[in-house]
Parts: sequence; C-alpha cells; structure tokens
Amino acid sequence: MTDGTPATAAIRVRLFASLREQAGWAERTWPLESAAAAPTPRQLWNALGLPGSAAAVRVAINQCFADPDTDLRPGDELAFLPPISGG
Amino acid sequence: MKHSPALLRIALHPEAFEPLEQLERWQRELEAADAVSAAESLFIGRVRGQAGDGSPLAALELEHYPGMTERQLQQLAQDCSQRHSVRSALVLHRVGRVLPGQAIVLVAIGADRRGPAQRCSQELLEALKHEAPFWKREWHRDGSRQWLTGNTPL
Repeated sequence: MTDGTPATAAIRVRLFASLREQAGWAERTWPLESAAAAPTPRQLWNALGLPGSAAAVRVAINQCFADPDTDLRPGDELAFLPPISGG
Repeated sequence: MKHSPALLRIALHPEAFEPLEQLERWQRELEAADAVSAAESLFIGRVRGQAGDGSPLAALELEHYPGMTERQLQQLAQDCSQRHSVRSALVLHRVGRVLPGQAIVLVAIGADRRGPAQRCSQELLEALKHEAPFWKREWHRDGSRQWLTGNTPL
C-alpha cells in the first residue's frame, strides 16, 4: 500500500461515513502489478481487512453502483458505501 | 415519444435554503421556459427536533459522495420524469450540518394532471432516500453523535 502510484497502475479506494470512521481512513491507493492482477471489490474488501461484512455495504465503481464481483480495471475509483439514508 | 424531455433542475446546497424562495425562483424559470404545468406536487422535508431515540437533536449532518450523488440524483429524476411523463422536476437537497426546522429536501414535480405529478413526486423522494449516496449523522446536545443506518418509515 503506497501513495503516489500513477493512477493508471492502481485502484483508488474510498470509504464514506461510518465505514470511514470505523476503518480510520478515507482514501487509499491499491497498486497493481498488472491489469491481469486486478482484484474484484469483494477481494479488495477482504485484502484491506475492512470491518464487518462486505454484504453490508454497496459498491460503486467510477461513481456508479456495481456488483462486488466485478473485475476492477487499472485507474478505477472504487467506493464502499455503508447503508444510505438521504432525504 | 409523445412528451418532450422534462425540464430538470438538481442541486445540492451546502448552506441553508428557504424552500418558498426557491419555489418562487423555480416558478420564474418554468415561466421563462414556457413549462408551467396545470398540476404541481410539492414536498418539503425538514429536520425533526428529536433524534431517533426521542432525545432533543442539536443538528443533523449530511455527508455525500461528491460527483456520484449529483449524478445519481440527476439519473433518478430523469428516469422518474420519463416514467410518469411529467413536464418538470426540481430537486434540492442539503448537505453539511442542518439544524432542526431547516429544510433538508425540496421536490417539485409539474405535470398535466395531479396523478402523475403526485406519483412521480413520491416515487422520486423514495428513490433518492434509498438510491442516492447520502449519510445522516445525528448530533446530540451533549456532543455525542451517531450515524443512522436507515430511513424513517413512510
């Protein structure tokens, strides 16, 4: 886990609200050795050791809701979203 | 398509807004665009004075996902407007720290008839509560705070 990796060779991971506070960080860069090595959001959730179950959060890739088993691509922005409460 | 695309305006407000002033401004925009409707359904949501546990609430904080929240609201409003063939849709939503009594959301839907106006308004409000990335945190008077994990009942 390093910062400053070129965006094209990494996944940008973002957390929000309660999840951000539980994890203690808002944003990290997950470097990729090759495009073939890109994980899915679910795999990344486990690799990052995020708190609780991945089933309790929703996933957004490049700011659109996505399936947690989607293959990520270099340069993607991945966000884990705790339960929404708007309006 | 029988209907032309609805006139949409979506905005997030980091500061307090006065719903009636915003509606007056929206009315002028609709007049200028020749898009005033025979039926208009309005919803104003305000922050309650009590937290979920019944204790007095100091403030409600609203976090969002800049970029995604705006895009998602736009998409929800567009889809809903199309489904109900409405003529206009206004959605204003607060972000940041909102005090009890202050407006948190304003939805105004214009259509040819009351049915589509009211149905679209209700559907869009429910959609944005569940499908737009907003997170609420209650701030209590003693300084303690708590993230909410769901919405109040319909």
